[in-house]
Amino acid sequence: MSNWIVYGLRRGILTTRYPQRSGTMPAGYRGAVAALNAPLEEQRAGVAACLSGALQEGSPAARVDALRCYQCGECARRAPTAFAISPAFEVARLRQRAAPFGRSVHVRHVDAGSDGSEEQELQAIFNPFYDANRLGIFLTATPRHADILIVTGVVTHPMVEPLRRAYDAMPHPKSVIALGTSACSGGISSDSPDVAGPVDAIVPVDVYIPGTPPTPLSILHGLAVALGRAVPAGEAMP
Amino acid sequence: MLRYVVSGEGGLEEYPGAVLGPVPSLAAAIPAALWHECEARDRFGVVFENLPESRPLVEVRPAEELRRADSPEVSTILYGPVRSGIVESARWIVETAGEDFISVYPSMFFKRRELERRFTGVPLDLAAHVAEHASGATASSHAAAFSKAAEAALRLEVPERARATRAVLVEFERIHQHLDALAKLADDGSLSVGSSQTFAAKERVHRLLAEATGNRFARGVITVGGTRFDVMARLADVCATQLDRLEAEVLAVLDALFSTQSLLDRLIGTGKLARELVIAYGAVGPVARGSGVSSDARLHDGYLYTPMGGEESLESHGDAVSRALVRRAEIVRSFRSIRNALDGAFAGEYLAPARLEDGCGIARVESPQGELLYFVRFDGGIARVALRSASYANWPLFVPSLPGNIFTDFSFIEHSFGLSQAEVDR
Repeated sequence: MSNWIVYGLRRGILTTRYPQRSGTMPAGYRGAVAALNAPLEEQRAGVAACLSGALQEGSPAARVDALRCYQCGECARRAPTAFAISPAFEVARLRQRAAPFGRSVHVRHVDAGSDGSEEQELQAIFNPFYDANRLGIFLTATPRHADILIVTGVVTHPMVEPLRRAYDAMPHPKSVIALGTSACSGGISSDSPDVAGPVDAIVPVDVYIPGTPPTPLSILHGLAVALGRAVPAGEAMP
Repeated sequence: MLRYVVSGEGGLEEYPGAVLGPVPSLAAAIPAALWHECEARDRFGVVFENLPESRPLVEVRPAEELRRADSPEVSTILYGPVRSGIVESARWIVETAGEDFISVYPSMFFKRRELERRFTGVPLDLAAHVAEHASGATASSHAAAFSKAAEAALRLEVPERARATRAVLVEFERIHQHLDALAKLADDGSLSVGSSQTFAAKERVHRLLAEATGNRFARGVITVGGTRFDVMARLADVCATQLDRLEAEVLAVLDALFSTQSLLDRLIGTGKLARELVIAYGAVGPVARGSGVSSDARLHDGYLYTPMGGEESLESHGDAVSRALVRRAEIVRSFRSIRNALDGAFAGEYLAPARLEDGCGIARVESPQGELLYFVRFDGGIARVALRSASYANWPLFVPSLPGNIFTDFSFIEHSFGLSQAEVDR
């Protein structure tokens, strides 16, 4: 017979203190792409290698659309003078301002057409290393009890209606998070005839968390942004 | 044997030895052909004679059109596509008159993105990224299977160092996906600490991969001809300091899970699959091995794998606990394979330059869910990619595993299969 209480106690406290204290990803983690000042011809190889059209040539540096970036690292590998990739994980962007939530929120998840990894990383924020419950974040099975809707994946046509219904079933105030690069921008599936669009083409999105998939720390940051407890990356979006 | 050729515009195409008219269905005699024929019918308009399933597979239809029972006592329950918890979208149409399953019909493909078409025209050195989108959680298996198919078509020799790297990454993937399935089973059994600790063990694998490869699912590493950068050195460094600790943690949680009688009781006899059924449906991976059917692509196909033990993890009872035991045995073996591949200390190049030429290739990789197949055709570039995922091969067996079980067994059976929706819908 297993004694799970002893098992858990033996392992001690695994949980990060993030976001009260800072968190880190390993040095080689491909988090966010930054454009460096470089002549156009040096940018070209990197821009051409971007499958999701996240990069545009520009002066003095290329422009990077973080919501389209899959963190594959091809640009930095092919054009190292024009692009650099850092282990940054606080990448969530906010549209306007955070909804007025109190200390605790309930979260509902809808998969609109993901690749299956975003769900696993979302699940991970409840494991002992991240323990989202300590931040007052709980999962709920019904949209009726949900304050925040987290949507993974680009929205396929058959998922438009289920997504809309989940959103409509939520009480006010409510907030929507697009989780993962495909959910944020449509990414590589943008032109597929089976795809209706990114999440914000169907329901209004408040917080965008790009990533392939976003790491649990990125998700915690995005949730903290949605709750007005953390600073988003970059300026507020229009 | 060639039976028919599907045209790119839909319908059938003329070809020597192929029929043009209605195609006699194979599915009545060979259940393994059922989903393939249904998909060819739904997507390409191919007409089959005597196809045993008239309901659409790929198209999402209202439930009343799919109902089978006439009796008013039987109620139809729509389960999905949005379900409780953090799960991928799929719908089950369940007909029931109480606790028992009378009829269950899977309505999937809600998530279809037409990913196979997305490969067309993508430069060869970027195309493995697209394969990783088919199933992000098993990205290494998809990138490896796609690359292997392309390498077969281009007759490209992959350096040993890259093959060893692929082996290590696919085995790590097997460990984290098996832990994911076991953690979900523990959660189904209301074993909350057991589930948390199993997810914690999974987290440790992702942290190791993030440090060694730059991504928690090792995405963006495997490509046609080898790997995108020299990951082997970094993997060896990280494993030198962390692999022992990781293995000890994973084995400890497995020991604890498999000595929790309350969980095992829930799994024993649940979702039983007879060996004959598994063979008829052509199931693969732990679903097949749990019923004693040998199916490990690693046994017959040494390409990815540098020397590794020839034994296969088989169980004979065909129930949820058998499939869980197969996963445990495979995790143990995966650690051994990783050590073998690392100990080989293969020097040399990590990438062989690929040159485009016309032709076809097909290849398989033993993904965590089972045998994953990729087909690639080059015609002045990538012209066509098709994939048959392990989840696609195994889902048709889910319904035959239900009779004799009750509603509350549903999630146990589902998680004992441990399948992915994204790679089915693609």
